[in-house]
Amino acid sequence: MRILIIEDDREAANYIRKGLRESGHVVDHAADGEEGLEMARAADYDVLVVDRMLPKMDGLTVVETLRAEDDRSPVLILSALGEVDHRVEGLKAGGDDYLVKPYAFAELLARVEALVRRRDPETVRTRLTVGDLEMDLLARTVLRGEEEILLQPREFRLLEFLMKHSGQVVTRTMLLEKVWDYHFDPQTNVIDVHISRLRSKIDKPFDRALLHTVRGAGYRLQA
Amino acid sequence: MRRFAPAFLRTTAFRVTLLSAALLAASSLVILTFVYFASVGVSLNRTDAAVEEEIATVETRFRDGGIQSVNRYILQRSVGGSDFLYLLVHPSGRRISGNLSGLPETGADNDGRLEFQYMRPPAGEEESEKDERLARGRISPLPSGYQIFVGMDVEDEDRLIGGMLRAVLAASALALALGVASGVFISRRFAIRLDQINRVAHAVEAGDMKRRAPRTNTGDELDELSANFNAMLDRIEELMARMKNAGDSIAHDLRSPLTRMRNRLDDALREDGDLESREASLTQAVSDADELLGVFNAILSISRLEAGERRQSFSRMDPAQIVEDLCELYEPVCEEAGLRFEAEIETGTEVRGDRGLLSQALANLLDNAVKYTPAGGAIALRLRRCASGEIELSVTDTGPGIPESDRVRATQRFVRLEKSRSQPGSGLGLSLVKAISDIHGATLELSDGPGIMDGMGPGLRAALIIPPAKQAS
Repeated sequence: MRILIIEDDREAANYIRKGLRESGHVVDHAADGEEGLEMARAADYDVLVVDRMLPKMDGLTVVETLRAEDDRSPVLILSALGEVDHRVEGLKAGGDDYLVKPYAFAELLARVEALVRRRDPETVRTRLTVGDLEMDLLARTVLRGEEEILLQPREFRLLEFLMKHSGQVVTRTMLLEKVWDYHFDPQTNVIDVHISRLRSKIDKPFDRALLHTVRGAGYRLQA
Repeated sequence: MRRFAPAFLRTTAFRVTLLSAALLAASSLVILTFVYFASVGVSLNRTDAAVEEEIATVETRFRDGGIQSVNRYILQRSVGGSDFLYLLVHPSGRRISGNLSGLPETGADNDGRLEFQYMRPPAGEEESEKDERLARGRISPLPSGYQIFVGMDVEDEDRLIGGMLRAVLAASALALALGVASGVFISRRFAIRLDQINRVAHAVEAGDMKRRAPRTNTGDELDELSANFNAMLDRIEELMARMKNAGDSIAHDLRSPLTRMRNRLDDALREDGDLESREASLTQAVSDADELLGVFNAILSISRLEAGERRQSFSRMDPAQIVEDLCELYEPVCEEAGLRFEAEIETGTEVRGDRGLLSQALANLLDNAVKYTPAGGAIALRLRRCASGEIELSVTDTGPGIPESDRVRATQRFVRLEKSRSQPGSGLGLSLVKAISDIHGATLELSDGPGIMDGMGPGLRAALIIPPAKQAS
């Protein structure tokens, strides 16, 4: 994957670049908004990671300009401003996801990789499949092999999110944001409890586990 | 500080009183001067009219009986105690008769009027000394070159007028003096009290945070100033104490995970070869770092909440949905922890607020309840309308609770009551709840839970009491 980082803090940029490279991505770096905009126009990137506050041109303007030029590259906005309003501003400007500093690298990586999937033509899928696990989004049913699995509405949404991002790491924070729409981290292991309930329904009665725990990062649904 | 004059002389009060005293003196001078001239005028007019009348009498006598008749009349009038002064003068300038010995050489104006000092002969034996007195009158020519002076003794009037004039000046001077004196008095009192306040300000500036301005409890403006000043100092002191406490707590709370993390990284470096334990050390170091980030995030959130910006995103809503979502999130957590979970949700209530923040506050309270309630206990999440119309959002547990003496402290930033120091957490949970409660105009109540039973309790009830949304107007 080809990723462009627009971030003026060299330390932070190097840290992200190194991490993303180790995960097998090709990474370019721009240190200010204008340079970032030019590089984004010049090459076709799979994901842009844009810091909100940048010298010369701020991050939101960069994203707005690209969107006005009909550039649909997925954008992850990084910001020290975590207010709901700021988040909404970032998404309105054309960002696809918003990550508040300070963050763990695992969180950033998971979000960047989750964004790429989105780029696939968004055909309306009514059926998701991971291994022998099948979800029918219209009938709202879940099958593993021949066996139907009964899920609570929230468990269904949780599984749907995991299946849409199968093969990728999803963090607890991502799940809280996308499945529950909570933008804070509870002190207790609420997500773990919900995951383990889900696991007991979709994995426990079967030989092969599909829902894996990724230490220090989150979970991954993989056949 | 440079001082040119005593402090009270520089006060506004002194200047104002001085100015008003000067104005008072000037205006009394004007008024009394007017009165003076008016009364002097009246008295002179009366004298002049009487003199004219007498001159007319003399002239009539001259026409009727000639100079002899006039002379007789004057001799006759001069003997008794007449009100008038006379002098009949021969065309040669010689005195013929009258009760005056002569006239001053000069002094008469064009009309013949004049004022002069004369010697009044002693009237009786007891009054032996000659008396110099003021006369006022007019010289009038008679036919054949004779002249007659008729005048009146105006010494008494003159004295009275002179006395009045002195009184006017004295009164003005007195007004000025009294004004200055009262200015000094008032402004000294003012200056002394202001000086006390200033001294307190200087002492506080120099580091003595305990100093307070003296109160007189009279409710006047200076007393009010002292009261406000003291209230401000109390607030500053509280903020400073909190900041110091926060500083100490940050140092304490950040140092331990930082030290732990440092040691684990150090271990990972030294454990040669043993990949597994090295990885374990590093994983632990990462989770220590996450804990630190959590603390930072909490500090940031609280600061932003306290700045109050977020209130702009408030809207009217039924909190029931918030509570239902949280029930759904936390019920399995409670079950897992061996706790009974109960929910009581009243629908149809309305508050003005932010879904995310209210969720976060309740999630924090639920986190605490789960953390501190031993297995076998129970947790209740409630939404109900109080009798007062306010909305209660509360979490009650059957854990050990918080002693009453610690409850105020528990909501302050970074305060972790001793018992909980061993538990993970930033120590910011309750202060975050408090900050959220504050920006919703709500009160955060901490009270005992259901009480002691089965070796548990007394429990804790943490309630946000939120004012109901105002009816749209």
